[in-house]
Amino acid sequence: MLSCKEVSYLASQKLDQNLTRWERVGLFFHLSMCGVCRGYGRDLMAIREKLRAMGATEETLLSTSVTLPEQSRERIKEAMGKALQNTET
Amino acid sequence: MAYELSSPDQWLPLYGDILYRYAMARVRNPDVAEDLVQDTLLAGLKAKDNYAGQSAEQTWLIGILKHKIIDSFRQSARQKTEEFDEQMVALEDEGADFFNQKGGWQTGFSTWAKPEQSMQQEQFINVLQECIDRLPSRMSQLFVLRELEGMSNEEICEVMSISSLNNLWVMLSRARVQLRHCLDINWINQ
Repeated sequence: MLSCKEVSYLASQKLDQNLTRWERVGLFFHLSMCGVCRGYGRDLMAIREKLRAMGATEETLLSTSVTLPEQSRERIKEAMGKALQNTET
Repeated sequence: MAYELSSPDQWLPLYGDILYRYAMARVRNPDVAEDLVQDTLLAGLKAKDNYAGQSAEQTWLIGILKHKIIDSFRQSARQKTEEFDEQMVALEDEGADFFNQKGGWQTGFSTWAKPEQSMQQEQFINVLQECIDRLPSRMSQLFVLRELEGMSNEEICEVMSISSLNNLWVMLSRARVQLRHCLDINWINQ
């Protein structure tokens, strides 16, 4: 029987590649008896779904209170102004 | 429908914050994120004549930013990689912190009663972002590329200079255990 440590690795790997038949069987048996690992696998899936959905949009996990600091806004404005002048001339 | 670009001097007021948040959520470092915003706008300026109007202005700029972010990951990966990876893999073999000697969970996880519901709460999102931030920087970069950007294993190894798929998977597994542990402490038991 696989240990929880081995199962945590397989539960993670399942999100990155196809498991072999033996790995799938081992995982199935362990999960049928271990609630902690079942919960772990389910949580990894939930995190994956949440982040993939987020990544597919232009939204981020950060709150809208995170904004470009004023100082660097000025700096970028200046750089843009210079670049614009160069493209015009 | 074809989109049109607004005047480039409007980009910063219109999209500065959006681009900054997008970059911050991925690179975690304010200085790097600010530079990425500037690089993106300047690159947009250079490329604006090639804009085909197939995507909205914001989407177009975020597309440029995405490339810049991956480039910055690639650069940081050049600095110190193999040593970190070796250490991480060795640590994993020991099963440090999270598992006991028999390979059982060291940290009794509480289970999320209803993840779908708790997932929708904004507060949860904040905790998740914080927990991603707390991962060692290389691990969080791998995790972001894999989960947020949905990049393939092979692409990530190439961008991040990881020597084998196995090392990538060990580090991803490690990142997930740590992240789950962080959520357990900071969210689930709230």
